[in-house]
Amino acid sequence: MGKYFIRRLLGLIPLFIAVVVISFFLMQFAPGGPEQAMKESKKLTNAQIERWLNAWCLEGEDSIVATAKEFGGWAGILNCNNDGWNAFFSEQGGLNFLPRTLGGGDNGILHGDFGRSIANGREVLGIITERLPATLLLAGAALFVWVSLALVIGVIAAVRQYGKFDQASTFLAYIFYSLPTFWLGLMLIFFFAVYLHWLPTSGMVNAREWPPFGTPDFGVAVGKDPLGAIKEIGTHMVLPLITLVAVNIAGDSRFVRASMLDVLNQDYVRTAKAKGAAPRRVYGRHALRNALLPVVTNVGLELPFLVAGAIVTETIFVWPGMGSLFIQSLRESDYFVLMAVIMITSAMILFANLIADLVYGIVDPRIRY
Amino acid sequence: MDPIQATHVEGITQTGGVVEAGGPTTDFEVSLESLNQRQLAWRRFKRNRLALIGSSIFLFMVAVAILGPVLLPYDRLDITAVKKPGGNPPSLESIKTIFGTDNLGRSVLVLTVNGARLSMLIGVMTTIIAVSIGVTIGGIAGFFGGWADGVLMRLVDLVLAVPFLFIVLVAARFFGGGDPIIIILIFGLLAWPGLARLVRAMFLSLREQDFVLAARAVGVSNSRIIFKHMLPNAIGPIVVSASLLVAGTIVLEAFVSFLNFGVRATDVSWGNALSNSQGTLVQGNWWWAFFPGMAIALTVIAINFMGDGMRDALDPYSRGR
Repeated sequence: MGKYFIRRLLGLIPLFIAVVVISFFLMQFAPGGPEQAMKESKKLTNAQIERWLNAWCLEGEDSIVATAKEFGGWAGILNCNNDGWNAFFSEQGGLNFLPRTLGGGDNGILHGDFGRSIANGREVLGIITERLPATLLLAGAALFVWVSLALVIGVIAAVRQYGKFDQASTFLAYIFYSLPTFWLGLMLIFFFAVYLHWLPTSGMVNAREWPPFGTPDFGVAVGKDPLGAIKEIGTHMVLPLITLVAVNIAGDSRFVRASMLDVLNQDYVRTAKAKGAAPRRVYGRHALRNALLPVVTNVGLELPFLVAGAIVTETIFVWPGMGSLFIQSLRESDYFVLMAVIMITSAMILFANLIADLVYGIVDPRIRY
Repeated sequence: MDPIQATHVEGITQTGGVVEAGGPTTDFEVSLESLNQRQLAWRRFKRNRLALIGSSIFLFMVAVAILGPVLLPYDRLDITAVKKPGGNPPSLESIKTIFGTDNLGRSVLVLTVNGARLSMLIGVMTTIIAVSIGVTIGGIAGFFGGWADGVLMRLVDLVLAVPFLFIVLVAARFFGGGDPIIIILIFGLLAWPGLARLVRAMFLSLREQDFVLAARAVGVSNSRIIFKHMLPNAIGPIVVSASLLVAGTIVLEAFVSFLNFGVRATDVSWGNALSNSQGTLVQGNWWWAFFPGMAIALTVIAINFMGDGMRDALDPYSRGR
């Protein structure tokens, strides 16, 4: 198991490098490019611009060598204060890509330097650490609701196959599976927020009463009134949550049902019934445990859709997470924020897939690594 | 049970009768039909009620896409006076007001009807591109295996490494320029990896089957084996996922255009028909977002029903029922 984990982890490295390279080239080929965007930014001081132009080896040339150097500087492999082959070494004399404590440099994304936002001049990493918790909260809640509801609906539908519940859930699954996520969100906003006034239209907290989520001020406010904060975020989260999980629940409840039916037709389930085991025991212990296997794989495969869903949902509901940050920086051509969001999210998905694989190994005792 | 189905197998027709010496006479009446695979599939498809409903909705939408712009052409300057902030609610005064108007006074019906053409065109064209690339790459990888497989599948991994929606949105924003053709290219060039994986997996298993071995033993060329022997056996799942891709692309285009990164404002698609409609929701205008979105949802439901029907119909092992 440990060996397998390490092998898979090493297998992620080329993919992660691919992500970094793709992000870099998206930035390179975008109109204007990072150099011009930085120079045109009104929010960055000249000293800051100088620092990043130098740290990222941006010289304004378009040759292959210059582009490769830019990539090296941006990634943190090269130190452009040195010339020629010495650029591979940091001021401390060690290889530049190593962490600073091991004699490496301090530029580039390898050292956590994602640059500054062109739109507001703040450090990219600071913006992201402010935004990430909101997304993790929404995605975590979504994952929980999604998996548990899909399981419950799917299992009941399978146990009472062709019953009323089964038919109703099949029909609803068809409908919800086909609804465009963003449109579902708009309709929910209109019905529950504008028409019924039950829930807030957007945001994560009421901006008049609470400081923005993720800021230190918010932490202080939560300390004063933790229950109020839970209620505030909870009511704001209902609609985004429904929007985010509707499609997944629709798809996966069908999947759970099929997987459960498969198992229910197996001989050992019949044996369990024949020997007089209580239905709860048959379905819970014998059937569900085995039906879970394909479900776990499927959920693992669908994690990227959670990200796509988060982009859509956060944009519609102005949820202050990574998804809305992505769309916002895309609108403002804020390259550095954009690339950081893409890279960090992609890395998280790659890692989440690895975890899903490992969980699969734990759930299925037949798997040998 | 059905009437006896005789399957046509290379000139031998199974009959229910007994052939006697002195001429073919039967000792009991049987209705005989010789159906090829396509006819069998069509027969199975026809029996699926949901698939038929889906097909009729889909055909209706296609008709709207073709006739809509002719019967109710979109004109940017054709606006009615807005009596209520957010737009006039639906009313039965005239044909153009039955879906209400947007905040500028444009008829939502005209927007919805005209959006059909571009949305469906983008869905279908994208799918054609993605299927061509996906089948080619997946087919080569699955048929030849070895290093070709390794290289091509790493390419697939590479395209899948960054979440699809990120790349699509970035590309549409920076390179799309509102041009539908470029949007189609962006979608098509990024949407193929799923299909490639599917086709590869099917080719890997088909390659080992006896009929392929037989064909190879007789000396049939690779291209003939691929196109005549293997592809027809893989066509079912390919058609099904292609139909789902059409539906998925229609929704994707709608979202991209909804964000104003997609088709330019002078063209109408379902997505940009309802872009900017979120702002008027709080003014009570639900119809602007509702009707174009409903058109998308109906089309997608219809395609999903059809896809399900085709999945069952094109599976040669699902007989009767």
